[in-house]
Amino acid sequence: MKNHVKVTRMSLSITQEQLAKRVGATRQTIGLIEKGQYNPSLQLCIAIAKELNKTLDELFWEVESE
Amino acid sequence: MKSWISFLLPSDEYKEKKMLYFFSEGAIVLLLSLFVTFICSRFMSLDVETVLFLHVGLFVVYVLGRYIVSGIEFTDIATVQEYKKELRVVRIKSIGFTVIFFLLYPLVSGVPADMSSWIGIFLFSALAGLMMFFINCTSLKRSYNRNKELM
Repeated sequence: MKNHVKVTRMSLSITQEQLAKRVGATRQTIGLIEKGQYNPSLQLCIAIAKELNKTLDELFWEVESE
Repeated sequence: MKSWISFLLPSDEYKEKKMLYFFSEGAIVLLLSLFVTFICSRFMSLDVETVLFLHVGLFVVYVLGRYIVSGIEFTDIATVQEYKKELRVVRIKSIGFTVIFFLLYPLVSGVPADMSSWIGIFLFSALAGLMMFFINCTSLKRSYNRNKELM
């Protein structure tokens, strides 16, 4: 699943490790989410969105270009 | 989700999901193996103790093997420095394990009477320590290779 987690995290100067600790996941899980290799649960999506001060739409909604 | 197996599972949801897959795969492999053994037992006589031991071993080796190869054990090792540091920890843990194994083994199996038995226990302990080192090293290497791709 494509998402904007990595771009948003980097714009806030947060490391994968810091984000992982704040949302109760591992660095590997955050890396997998950013690469689109793992689809997180809604609970984890919300936790990430809250930490990055974004809505779920802004982070995870894929808008098809016309 | 509440289940009695939760105490065996890690708190990270990705690891938890992977572990559930490994346990499930192990259970299916075990079931198939038991079914084949059941059919074979109709044509040949099998020692019950050996068969049970082999099946327990099959499940443990399968789940452990999948866990090691998947590279999900060392989730925070992604740089060369972290890898080298963790490798040192693995080395120390393996030596510690060998020493503890060597000291505890005679308490369980009885204190050896002669020198050759002591040597036997030492070699057995060294082999167990080497096995632990090899398993942890493989898991660490796989985790490191996986994590550096995700940085």
